[in-house]
Amino acid sequence: MIKRLLYIGILTATGLFFSSCEKVIDVHLDTAPNQIVIEGNITDQNEVQSIRISQSVPYTDPSIYPAVKGALVTVTDNIGNSWTFTEKQPGSYSFGPFKGITGRTYSLKVILNDKTYTASSLMPVRVPMDSLSLKVITFGGKDLKQVQVHYKDPAGMENQYRWVMRINGVQTKRVFVANDRFTNGNIVADVLYYSKDDDNKELVSGDQVQVEMQCIDKSIFTYWFTLSEQTKNGPGGGVTPANPPSNINNNALGYFSAHTTQSLAYMVR
Amino acid sequence: MKQKLLFFFFYSSFFFTTAFAQQRYTLSGTIRDASTGETLIGATVKLQNASSTFGKAANDYGFYSISGAPGEYNMTVSYAGYQSQVQKINLQADLKMNISLEAANSLQEVVISAKDRKNDNVKSAQMGLEKLNMKDLDNVPVLFGEKDVLKTIQLMPGVKSGGEGNTGFFVRGGAADQNLILLDEATVYNSSHLLGFFSTFNADAIKDVSLYKGGMPAQFGGRLSSVLDVKMQDGNSKEFGVEGGIGLIASRVKVEGPIVKDKASFMVSARRTYIDLLLKASSDSSLNSNTLNFYDINAKVNYRFDDKNTLYLSGYFGQDNIGIKDLFSNDWGNTTATIRWNHVFNSRLFSNTSLIYNKYHYAIELVDKDNNARVTSLIRDFNFKEDMQYFSNRHIIRFGLQATHHRIAPSDITTTGNSSINNLAVENRYGLEMAAYVSDEWKITDRLEFLYGLRLSSFSLLGPGAINTYDASGQTSSSYQAAKGEFVKTYVYAEPRFSASYSLNEQNSIKGSYNRNTQNIHILTNANTSSPTDQYVMSSNNIKPEISDQVALGYFKNAQDNAYEFSAELYYKWLQNQIDYKNGAQLIANAEVESQLLYGKGRAYGLELYAKKTKGKLTGWLSYTLSKTERRFEGLNNGNYFPARQDRTHELSLVGIYNFSKRWTFSANYIYSTGNAVTFPAGKYSTGGLTTYYYTERNASRMPYTSRLDISATLKAKETKKYQSSWSFGLYNALNRKNPYAISFRDNKQDPSRTEAVQTSLFGIIPSVTYNFKF
Repeated sequence: MIKRLLYIGILTATGLFFSSCEKVIDVHLDTAPNQIVIEGNITDQNEVQSIRISQSVPYTDPSIYPAVKGALVTVTDNIGNSWTFTEKQPGSYSFGPFKGITGRTYSLKVILNDKTYTASSLMPVRVPMDSLSLKVITFGGKDLKQVQVHYKDPAGMENQYRWVMRINGVQTKRVFVANDRFTNGNIVADVLYYSKDDDNKELVSGDQVQVEMQCIDKSIFTYWFTLSEQTKNGPGGGVTPANPPSNINNNALGYFSAHTTQSLAYMVR
Repeated sequence: MKQKLLFFFFYSSFFFTTAFAQQRYTLSGTIRDASTGETLIGATVKLQNASSTFGKAANDYGFYSISGAPGEYNMTVSYAGYQSQVQKINLQADLKMNISLEAANSLQEVVISAKDRKNDNVKSAQMGLEKLNMKDLDNVPVLFGEKDVLKTIQLMPGVKSGGEGNTGFFVRGGAADQNLILLDEATVYNSSHLLGFFSTFNADAIKDVSLYKGGMPAQFGGRLSSVLDVKMQDGNSKEFGVEGGIGLIASRVKVEGPIVKDKASFMVSARRTYIDLLLKASSDSSLNSNTLNFYDINAKVNYRFDDKNTLYLSGYFGQDNIGIKDLFSNDWGNTTATIRWNHVFNSRLFSNTSLIYNKYHYAIELVDKDNNARVTSLIRDFNFKEDMQYFSNRHIIRFGLQATHHRIAPSDITTTGNSSINNLAVENRYGLEMAAYVSDEWKITDRLEFLYGLRLSSFSLLGPGAINTYDASGQTSSSYQAAKGEFVKTYVYAEPRFSASYSLNEQNSIKGSYNRNTQNIHILTNANTSSPTDQYVMSSNNIKPEISDQVALGYFKNAQDNAYEFSAELYYKWLQNQIDYKNGAQLIANAEVESQLLYGKGRAYGLELYAKKTKGKLTGWLSYTLSKTERRFEGLNNGNYFPARQDRTHELSLVGIYNFSKRWTFSANYIYSTGNAVTFPAGKYSTGGLTTYYYTERNASRMPYTSRLDISATLKAKETKKYQSSWSFGLYNALNRKNPYAISFRDNKQDPSRTEAVQTSLFGIIPSVTYNFKF
């Protein structure tokens, strides 16, 4: 949070005086064999829970990710419940409705071509999102409209949050993630920075914003935090990118996340 | 151990005194500039008669001492850019002689007898040393016309730039935090202004710059890769003078003069940018209340009590401020202060005692009402150094003691009102570094010279503090509370230093060196450039001292009476206990930051070629480096070696300065370098609704190459006795090439199912003009 603010400030300050320019270039890239990608979510809502299995593709290909069919997918919890997911659509395995319970650890097991992938995730305490508001930031003589989320962080425990923001139904390309390392026990207002850099669009009056707040466990926080650090290049090229540490074993990409979910909508004035 | 070493000092000085104290007399004194009284570092004194020729160079304070058998000699005192002085002396007793040299004016410089040029670069055992000529600095074209020590250093072989227009640098495969940057002996932790586009060194105030890339003399220690030794001017002890410059970005002024003529002088030099003053002129309220500036002040006073005692006081203060109204501000800066006392015990024994203070700090302030916070951090040193030099016939023996007390305040967060952010203070860390060293520069024969020594260094992490020990996975395995002043962990290392030169003849020599260095102050970064908010950590129970071992071999040749210098150096360097951090590490204000670290190894090797023309209307140099730099960490890149980001295979720079006429000087430099080693995706997938990139090998890809031509022209206005002035016109990136600064990947905006690589370039062609004056 502090880092992000500082970073935006510095970029803007220098941007005022040093004209930088961007161009699309051709780069030579190695092509790795397609990798298994597992994306699993168990929410605290009584709904159909689903696990998606797909493959990565070479960088130069269109972003259409082949579904992985025929996997055996089961989810268990730490008090002995077990759910066998079925493939309703190619690569999409689901069960339900059922809901995840705070404090329980959910384990995923995927068997695919004689290989077994496992992961587990703890359903965190649900922290409610109180409201959304508009925050106007002025730099470089320009008003930038931003959405701010308000919540009360519970004291006496570590909490991690992720937000997914949709503007007029389109998900933004920035990863929003925070923990309470600096804000434990406080009423918090976090700005979800949204700029031209990410989506080629700025918020304007009349935009319909929808924000989903998830309370996530520590390993899932590390996953999203690592991604968020890499999304934009800092001076000199930012941090060296790497695959975010997955909580799934056997070199599968992706994550398995038990999290709470709550959505609010807001119309930009 | 310490006692043993002290004994060694006394033993060795005793030994050399007795062994060579036969019928010999010593000539000693100080060498100065005749018109300013500035001491001339490295000026040489040569004694010559029918039977022998021998010479010595003046030390860092202009002091020289040379001994010979009784007799008559021709004495020649010379220094680059000065008229040599030749006189007859009769050495029948110890003689004291202070010498003043006249500066050669630019016209005379061209006709100066080539015989006066030195071949020290060939003869001296020292290798891996780059000396920057402060006169060249005036002519080498740079960004925005702000002449800069660190940017000019980057044009030397084996020195890689931290990035476009950046003052950060890498030496022989080392990291940016492995350079010891000294200003009048005080450590400058962050040598950049304005995010690295300018260095903290105001060229006006600087007398001498030396960069040691290898063959590190024993008096230096504490960093693995290099020592950049910057010395400030003492100030004119003859007459008052004012000089300055007005540039596009910054203006500077220097005032100097005698306090007591020939006894005491002062120098004050200041510089400030004024981009934000332009902003203030704007009528837009959101613009004119933003800040973006830096300033710095160098000041020095010296007092010569008598020929045996001189006291120097010098200091530096610099500050950067960036602020955006109602949002945030960030300021940072260095402060240094040095007190030095030169004492000449006798004509052969010179001592310097230094007390040094230095501090780097930063503060970030978030002004937003919901999220207000002020974050401060600092690193502060108190330093004591005692250095003795003993000059005998064929030896210069140097020995000394050093002690440094460090304090790091990693992060202190304070908030007011209803901030979302809590107050938080990460506790201070204290450390004590000590070193004792002895070295001997030994002219064994006219052809063979050794420079060898030993540095014994120790580092102790001191209490108080909560001391946690972490296992490989970053989990706390034990913890306890250390008491105040407790030695929590101590490391002791012996660092041998050895260089030798063998002259094939007056114009050709071969040199070899080995040295070990250790480092106990580390910056946590895996970004390329230094940032104002760099996190410093000390060696501890978890972090072991970084160690490097370097061997180098070189061939040095001068031609045409030393008008041309050529050198080739090969080096290989092993690095141990290198530091990186885990993916997703949280470094800021984290009391357990040591749990987030990874430790590994490094290796670097290369070939450096350097050719320089020092005489004639056209001067300049060509440098080329072929090198490889790799790192290896358990837990990164499957434990395999990978290229460091600054691993640029080929680097070339060409600098030419053409003295067209008395009034016009033209200069140009051209650089070419292989692109940085970077990590590009090998595939992509989707998580959380976002295109996510799949990475395989670390830093296995390359940025496109960088190439740039900068040119400048300097016009001297008509000189009067009282007033001199000149105009400098520059074009940075004269070919307007779009050099790569960063490459990022994103979804194509029209067709989101396609991804594209986007190259960011920083500077196109940038003109500059500077007006310089002196009266």
